[in-house]
Amino acid sequence: MEILKAERLVKIYQDNGVPVSALNNINLTVSKGEYVVIAGPSGSGKTTLLNLLGALDKPTEGRIYFEGEDITTKDKNELSKIRLHKLGFIFQAYNLIPVLTAIENIEFSMMLLGISDKERKEKALALMDELGIKELANKRPNEMSGGQQQRVAVARAIVNNPSVVLADEPTANLDSVTAGHLLDLMEQMNSEKNITFIFSSHDKNVIDRAKRLIILKDGRIDN
Amino acid sequence: MLLKLAWRNIWRNKRRSIIVLISIVVGLTAIVLTDGLSNGMIRQMLFNQVNLDISHLQIHKAGFNSNKVIKNFIPDYQHVESILKSNPEVAAYSKRVFATGILSSANNSSGVIIYGIDPEEEARVSIIKSSIVEGKYLSGSKREIIIGKKLAEKLGVDVGDKVVAMSNTLKGDIGSDAFRVAGIFQTANSEFDKMTVYIVAGAEQEMLNTGDNYHEFAVILKDYNNVTSIKSKLESALGSRYEVFTYKDLLPLFIFQMDLYKESMMILNIIIGLALIFGIVNTMLMSVFERIREFGVLMAIGMRNSKLYLMILFEAFMLGILGTLVGLVCGLLLDIPLAHSGINLSLFATGLESFGIGAIIYPVLSVGNLINAALFMPFVAVLGALYPAYKAIKLEPIYAINYV
Repeated sequence: MEILKAERLVKIYQDNGVPVSALNNINLTVSKGEYVVIAGPSGSGKTTLLNLLGALDKPTEGRIYFEGEDITTKDKNELSKIRLHKLGFIFQAYNLIPVLTAIENIEFSMMLLGISDKERKEKALALMDELGIKELANKRPNEMSGGQQQRVAVARAIVNNPSVVLADEPTANLDSVTAGHLLDLMEQMNSEKNITFIFSSHDKNVIDRAKRLIILKDGRIDN
Repeated sequence: MLLKLAWRNIWRNKRRSIIVLISIVVGLTAIVLTDGLSNGMIRQMLFNQVNLDISHLQIHKAGFNSNKVIKNFIPDYQHVESILKSNPEVAAYSKRVFATGILSSANNSSGVIIYGIDPEEEARVSIIKSSIVEGKYLSGSKREIIIGKKLAEKLGVDVGDKVVAMSNTLKGDIGSDAFRVAGIFQTANSEFDKMTVYIVAGAEQEMLNTGDNYHEFAVILKDYNNVTSIKSKLESALGSRYEVFTYKDLLPLFIFQMDLYKESMMILNIIIGLALIFGIVNTMLMSVFERIREFGVLMAIGMRNSKLYLMILFEAFMLGILGTLVGLVCGLLLDIPLAHSGINLSLFATGLESFGIGAIIYPVLSVGNLINAALFMPFVAVLGALYPAYKAIKLEPIYAINYV
């Protein structure tokens, strides 16, 4: 089942008035339950493509269809709604809310969905237990290691059962052992919960585990 | 959870939040104090005016107030007295005869208003008896007079000295009589003390040849808040031969001054609020710019602009509430003891006395003022956060996430 489709995507940035082409005529289709890695050297347009697929940015040209719906014509609030209900994000720098504990960070997106306090707690604790991070529940980000923070970020990304999780260089700040554990976890979520994962990475560990690899070079798909 | 997040965000930068809190607390404490002080001054001015000679209500012959001549005495004062006696809302009244005249001593003379009173009745409606600072109050003897301290100084007289009062009589000739100073009074109104003397009504009636007649009933009510409705009742009971005035009718300039004073205090509060708004805008802007990346993450995980906006306003609102609570406590801790001991402004006594205010001001806090103050700061804080919150929601998620 096709979940994401990009048609003739072009993204041009203005750098001090000079147009810089970040993506050039990208065509891509991602199906439900895929585990996709977008790889390529720095500046190849990986993060730009991920941001466009994640409804965080709009293309200069082209269309993106999410579950058959064109999201390039949506306004800010509609895109927020899509991100809240359908997408999960994992960032390179974890980006947990520093004043919230691990469990509160996980609960936050459920709160935005209007889920009751009790249900939020139960769901967050169950997921933390499943991911083996229950003991971190009451710790704040500055009391956790990078690997622990990224696990909490994974929990935050999947807690609302999104259709797609987008992970931008999720292992870049982790040592290889911790990165391996994190990838195990995401693979497990992919196979058990059928969550679609799209990574951008140039980490060999991530690329080696890709079930589908898309290589970007100078803003074009190279494979 | 949004409230929890807003609350914790406040304490991210403790020093900055505490500085804003202190400014709110100082501002609010100042507002509570100045409100209390201005209320105290207004109440004291009103109390002094009402309890010196104005009273809550005055009853005269129709037209007397615009033409205060001796012949305009109350047509049938027994009729008025019976109506006042039967009115349960009247606490006390005093019948007065009065005229303008000259009071002379061996050394000097001065223009005065001569009040002829029943000493016992007058003591129930005015503070003149309790304002005696030398000698004694009128005992009922027709040869006694009490005068203000300023007037006594001007005339160079003391208790026991002889003075002569002169005034036009009902027939148009000059009536005069000699009196002994029984007592000297001192009120908070130095102008009143310079101009006013009291003698027994019978003595004045003899001097002016007015017979058993009075010019005025000064009435004190049990609850002065009902003064307008009681005035209407008395007017309809008395009929058109009489006029009834409330203290508000008799002191239009004073009421105007009071309103002006209240408005100037409101302007002062607004100035304090404006000064605080700039501080809050600055703080909230700093707080927003420090968290641009975090706002990007919140937007990425689906937080709508309206919620983000609300969260920032909550932060400011909580600062306002916290500052208000501490400020109210500080203000009350300062105000309550001062409300008992008073604030000694004797340095400005001369100026204050000419406005009918004593040198010691007792701050008065009203619940209404406290509620206004309590609502004011959170409102100001939210107002100060509107622009920073607007700046935050104008951010594009992609720009915010990559902000360094």
